[in-house]
Amino acid sequence: MAKTILPLFLALSAWGFAMNAEAGSYAPEIGKRHPDFTLPALGDRKPVSLSDFRGKKVLLLHFASW
Amino acid sequence: MPVWHAATREWVKSGRLVLLAVVQEQHADRARLFAQWQGLGWPILHDPINILRLLAVPIPVAIDERGIVRSLRPDLKTLEDDFLNKTFPDDGGGAASLTPKPSDIAALREQAQSNPATGWRELGDALALWGGPERLDEAIACYQRAVQLATNDGDALFRLGVCHRLRHETAGRRPGDFQAAVDGWSRALATNPNQYIWRRRIQQYGPRLDKPYAFYDWVAEAAKTIAARGDTPIALAEPPYGSEIAHPLKELAQPEAPTPPDPEGKVHRDEKRLIEAEVAVVPASVAPGQAVRVHVTLRPSRDAKAHWNNQGEPLRLWVDAPAGWPVSERLLSAPQPREAETSEARRLDFEVQAPPDAAGSARLRVYALYSVCETQGGQCLFLRRDIPVEIAVRK
Repeated sequence: MAKTILPLFLALSAWGFAMNAEAGSYAPEIGKRHPDFTLPALGDRKPVSLSDFRGKKVLLLHFASW
Repeated sequence: MPVWHAATREWVKSGRLVLLAVVQEQHADRARLFAQWQGLGWPILHDPINILRLLAVPIPVAIDERGIVRSLRPDLKTLEDDFLNKTFPDDGGGAASLTPKPSDIAALREQAQSNPATGWRELGDALALWGGPERLDEAIACYQRAVQLATNDGDALFRLGVCHRLRHETAGRRPGDFQAAVDGWSRALATNPNQYIWRRRIQQYGPRLDKPYAFYDWVAEAAKTIAARGDTPIALAEPPYGSEIAHPLKELAQPEAPTPPDPEGKVHRDEKRLIEAEVAVVPASVAPGQAVRVHVTLRPSRDAKAHWNNQGEPLRLWVDAPAGWPVSERLLSAPQPREAETSEARRLDFEVQAPPDAAGSARLRVYALYSVCETQGGQCLFLRRDIPVEIAVRK
């Protein structure tokens, strides 16, 4: 699985995670599938993926406390 | 964030909507305290290394049942009609992952050997996200290799800085970790000055002249509010201090110069290094006319088994800068706990502004005076530690 990560990074624009003016920066595209990601949850640090919520409407909020 | 929370509460409660948050901060426990304060009950994920490569926050994204993006920065007033009540076709194409999982570490190690150009950074990412404090040394080594191979890899430079700062706050800290963090962040920002997640990490610790807002001035209020509700506020491993709670400033005021506490240098020097001192300059260099924040961290040596003597004189820091370099405070002091002897890190920070014609570098003469005990219950002394601070001027 991990061996596929690099090609997937390189293929970002091909499957809909458009590169914007800042090369490689976060730029989800309307009408395209949001790339999956897995990050530790606050607190127990358990891995949680965006795809865990497939089948539900999700409002993804990127934020900081400041 | 509170606005989104209030507006979507009923939809979340009824199961019509999932709120999933990703927080772009160095400290997970501060984000947890914020969530506790605001009563945010939905899942919040932590991306300290900005592996998602956001340029700024906040960014809300509406994603449908199939994982397809339906709206960026949606309007709360129309979210129900335009998103919740709608059925969308499956037109999104394939799916992939932006991040490694914990189980990927071994495979990524192999990939780093065969494809070192990006492989070391990706292995560093996996270790930084999933390895915990005990694998920070490995993560740092991976990012260092990545940066050696690609000196302008801003992601690797920023993440190297994040890991140095993380290690600085663990028992496994190495001398210079904080400054190495600032250096990494500064070098990363130089590759892309439009990266506001990276910029904010420097500004968090940086001078007030370059602050967009006070980053963690909400912490005290949050703890008070949570306690008033009868709950226990989440404890912070590194409570914010100095620059992290300071408000922006337009001009550096020069206070009246107080009397130096040891003008003739008569206080005995701390030859045994009972107190360890570490300096970090934020940002790593200063432009003429601009300011830097100088952080001085002092902590009793674990090797020497030293302790602060809280019944003696409190820790003070005296700052002498070259002529023409205004300093925000010449004499700083740290509060003392009630216990007779403690061993916590004490952090003091101040700002210094470079004159418009500054060039090369400037050396500040800084010294600390403190009361320290050689061992717990052992001999206690009043000592001085000279701490040279070098500030590089960039063109």
